[in-house]
Amino acid sequence: MGELLFEAKGVGKTYGSNTVLHDIDMQIYSGEVIGLIGENGAGKSTLMKLISGVEKSSMGEMFFMGKPYSASSILDANHQGIGMVFQEQSLVGSLTIAQNIYLGREKKYSTCGFVNWNKMNQDAKKALERIDMDIDPSKKVRDIDFAARQMVEIAKVLDVVTEAANGHAIILLDEPTTVLSDEEIKKLFVQVRNMKEQGNAVIFISHRLDEVLDITDRIYVFKDGEETAVMQTEGADVNLLYEKMIGRSTTGEFYVEHKQTVPSDEVILEVNDLSLFGAFNHVSFELKRGEVLGLCGVEGSGKEDVCAVLVGDAAPTAGTIKIKGKECTFANPYQARKKGILSVPKERRDEGMIGILSIEDNIIVSHMDTLSNHSFLSAKKTRRIAQEWVEKAGVKCVSINDRINQLSGGNAQKVIFARALESGCEVLILNHPTRGVDVGSKEEIYDLVRDMTAAGNSIILLGDTLDECIGLSSRIIVLRDGLVTGMFDCPVGEKPLQLDIVQKMM
Amino acid sequence: MKNKWEDSLSALSVGQQFAQKVKDDARKDKIRRYAPLILLIVMTIIGAISQKNFFSWGNIVNIMYQMSIPLVISTGLMYVLLLGSIDLSIEGVMGFAGSFVAFLVINNSNDNDFGLLGILLVVLISTAVGALTGFLHVRARIATFIVSYAMGCIMTGAAVLVYRGTPIQVKDELFNVLSQGMLLGIPYLTLIAFAIFIIGALILNYTAFGRAVYAIGDNETAAASTGINIGLTKIKVFALCGCTAGLAGILQCIRLKLGQASLGTNQMFPVVTAIVIGGGSLSGGKGGALSAFVGVLIYTELVNWLTLMGVDPYVRKVIQGVIIIIAVTLTISRSRKTISK
Amino acid sequence: MANSKKSFHISDFSKYMCLVSIVLVFGVFSVIIPNFMTPYSLQNMMTEAAPLLLMAGGMSFIIYTGGIDLGAGAMVSCTCVLSGVYVAQFGNAIIPIMLAAGILMGLTNGLLVTKLKLPSFIVTLCTMNFWSYIALNLCPNGSEIIPMDKRFMVQWATQKVFGIPIMFFIALAGVAVLYIFQQYTVYGKAIYGVGANVSATRLAGVNTDMAQISAFVISGACSALAGALYAYKLKSAVPTVGDALTLTAIASVALGGTSMAGGRGSVLRTALGVVTITGVTSGLNMMGVDPLWKDIVIGVILIIAVCLNTDTRGRDLIVK
Repeated sequence: MGELLFEAKGVGKTYGSNTVLHDIDMQIYSGEVIGLIGENGAGKSTLMKLISGVEKSSMGEMFFMGKPYSASSILDANHQGIGMVFQEQSLVGSLTIAQNIYLGREKKYSTCGFVNWNKMNQDAKKALERIDMDIDPSKKVRDIDFAARQMVEIAKVLDVVTEAANGHAIILLDEPTTVLSDEEIKKLFVQVRNMKEQGNAVIFISHRLDEVLDITDRIYVFKDGEETAVMQTEGADVNLLYEKMIGRSTTGEFYVEHKQTVPSDEVILEVNDLSLFGAFNHVSFELKRGEVLGLCGVEGSGKEDVCAVLVGDAAPTAGTIKIKGKECTFANPYQARKKGILSVPKERRDEGMIGILSIEDNIIVSHMDTLSNHSFLSAKKTRRIAQEWVEKAGVKCVSINDRINQLSGGNAQKVIFARALESGCEVLILNHPTRGVDVGSKEEIYDLVRDMTAAGNSIILLGDTLDECIGLSSRIIVLRDGLVTGMFDCPVGEKPLQLDIVQKMM
Repeated sequence: MKNKWEDSLSALSVGQQFAQKVKDDARKDKIRRYAPLILLIVMTIIGAISQKNFFSWGNIVNIMYQMSIPLVISTGLMYVLLLGSIDLSIEGVMGFAGSFVAFLVINNSNDNDFGLLGILLVVLISTAVGALTGFLHVRARIATFIVSYAMGCIMTGAAVLVYRGTPIQVKDELFNVLSQGMLLGIPYLTLIAFAIFIIGALILNYTAFGRAVYAIGDNETAAASTGINIGLTKIKVFALCGCTAGLAGILQCIRLKLGQASLGTNQMFPVVTAIVIGGGSLSGGKGGALSAFVGVLIYTELVNWLTLMGVDPYVRKVIQGVIIIIAVTLTISRSRKTISK
Repeated sequence: MANSKKSFHISDFSKYMCLVSIVLVFGVFSVIIPNFMTPYSLQNMMTEAAPLLLMAGGMSFIIYTGGIDLGAGAMVSCTCVLSGVYVAQFGNAIIPIMLAAGILMGLTNGLLVTKLKLPSFIVTLCTMNFWSYIALNLCPNGSEIIPMDKRFMVQWATQKVFGIPIMFFIALAGVAVLYIFQQYTVYGKAIYGVGANVSATRLAGVNTDMAQISAFVISGACSALAGALYAYKLKSAVPTVGDALTLTAIASVALGGTSMAGGRGSVLRTALGVVTITGVTSGLNMMGVDPLWKDIVIGVILIIAVCLNTDTRGRDLIVK
């Protein structure tokens, strides 16, 4: 372990009134690989956003090479020696590998504006060789496969930051192995070790704990926006990591468990051998009235795709969906709603709220055709309904005519819940319902979930944390790599252990 | 549900399925990319069979001549389409450029004799108009279809104002020479047009600016993170398009020795069709100089046929509309979630 | 995300823009031109504005969804010609027939946009050729006047009741119907939703295809009616009547404070925009300004109005 490259002291981030990260202390030394693990929403991506320059920290200080560090943009961070390989591909398909690596940096290869591609290709070859990649840099990116693209991205980031920090760069890898085969993962790890030897530091974020234990020197564990543990990889084992990641002492009270409904015997939704090519396979389950069915799985397990199929956003490639005994297919979310399925989407801003419309409009939008009289809506009726929901859900607003994007995250989410409840749909899919919501509103939302089941609705839940899933659900299905790997009953008082579930997840 | 997937499903794991899907998509993409070239070859073969002197020098020069003005327009328009934008002002700028240059050189309605200076002035004005369109789009965050549409109407109005109803006839000797003259059997107009296109293609493929245009059209947020100045690049693209539109208008004026607003009428849409047929995409990031060239060539041959078959020009416009609808429908993303407005 | 402080932005102007511009335009012109506000001149303006009120009112719905109809003027020319040529045969029954034609034309556009997933500006630029073709085919030699002996059939539209032309009443009634549609129907709300955030509206289970198609159908019907009114006003079939109208209609919508990105606006404000633009064109006419300036002036008004309306602040849209 070399010198101290990077240090974070008391770093945190707040969005509005919602603190997503706080009291983070971290040290990164030259020549080491650090693993960063935690559930979704634990704060790892937030910290990465702060370090890589995507966002500014709200509290605390960071130091790089002894000097105070703050980056105003990704480019700024790159120039200081910190670079991130993002999960989403950021290469331009129509351009060549070399052109992608040097995008934005063509100046030193150009005379009078015209670029010397040959010279750039030569340098690109060197950049690729640095990670043992033997590929023609004049190939277009759209002509190479995913794994190669991932490596090109790494080569690009490495080239940019070593230019700036020469042997003392920090590379952040965000879930780099999700699209790679076992062979390709081995090759990636060889490169990570190379980077290490050159004196750089690598932060490796992954939910695959076996990989983390393989490649890293030290591990930081995040949970609920704070650091719960930092340990040497040597001597750590999976169980210890699980415990630090998800062990929680939240009481059943937090999840309003005393109101958990016992499901009736009536089967509302039946899914048989459902498959979506490339996403999930042979998924079967039953959903009873009054039941909360939790879907647990890490990212890429296929749970999001199951929801997309149920909601009408994707057509399954095999299998059947039956609602109250009748087989159904949906071409779009409209048809799904007509059959009784509606979702509360994950991305509140982009897919949940209709931002510039009023709270009233947002509440009635999923039910307006039924509320209308031959397509005519009575303003009095809609106003009354919206007002009732605002009171029932406890939405803090000035009037129902306010634009929904003027509300806080928690309040906007309550409006969307009101919309779901008003819709009359018997199957509600809640996709990360408390994401980005402050603690106070979370409890109110859990209460709303209990109201939903008490009213006779059935819920499919994709929980923010495993804990939430266990606390809210009456039954849990675990997905891993597109297949159902486990099913757990979760009656009040006999909730399953988190450890048991996590083992099926990873 | 019986379908072709069922067999492969049981054989592969989900991870392998995903890799398979990616490969399939890449293959389909490759086919889509080579389709225009194949179409061109097929059309050329049909042409060679049906016409005796198809490969004669005369016929080739004729096709090149007909391609000239669309090619100049496509030089600028290909940049705009790569961004995923559109420039509906091209016809207006062309009409204005053609009318104003006729106004400035020796003509039958006034005593002006600005010659080359006049041409230069018109090119500068056209470029400035394009830059203004780009500026309004970037700063005021207005969609390009609306701001370029408005600008186009303004320029058409300005064109008509220049000659006040009576088209100007050009009597300038330079224009005469450029209009009739030939070099090695190829009209000067055609040589100039091809030269403009080649310059445009070189800039697109050999400068950082050209690469930035591809990057922005493909993934604007990723492009921004590499330090590319998105706003400035967009403004430059529209300035370039304005410049080529102006040049096209001047060439039209040279060809017809007339200055009037209709020099631009019905000129832009066929070129958009051509670029899309050639492999360009309306949503940006795909296409380029080769696509534009192939597309314009295919389109010119098509129009050739229609005229030979004696199709009414108005019916031709309708057919054009149908062709672009087919071409764009075949090239866009068809996922459930895409909604166009 | 709590929004505790709303910083003042230029787009806040757009709410007041239509009122301010009306007052400005009529104020300035009545000072410059002594006869601007005479009953005769106002009646002329009302007859002038009537078809445009319908056309711009209908077009508003397409703009609420974030789309555009660049062929609206061609639709107007088409139905003007059809009305002019066939009113002798069908009398006033030509009006509902044109309405049906307009619904068909709008339906065509709507289906192409939603089912083939094509951008509206391309679709409408294509179908525009088809509508013009019909117009020019029926009147290959320019305008055709309605024969004198049949003139009585169309006389009523320009007659004045309480000093106001009947066709203006028709236009006002049309705007009222459009307003009811916008505020009180399911389709109205769905149309706003599509413009405001199409993904969210779609996931909320709204039939967004139906919403977009209705917007095009309404606009088609209104443009078609406007064409019929022109035939009644000009007492002839004019194949070129709609050439400059598309620009004027869009400018009216923009002047009314509707954002081109969609999601908000009102036909009432569009109507005020129409009145303003009609005031401008009439005023310039009376001042003896060369009519060739009209397009330039309206184009500039459109650009200024759109710049003031810009409302991408609350949305992370990438504008292309």
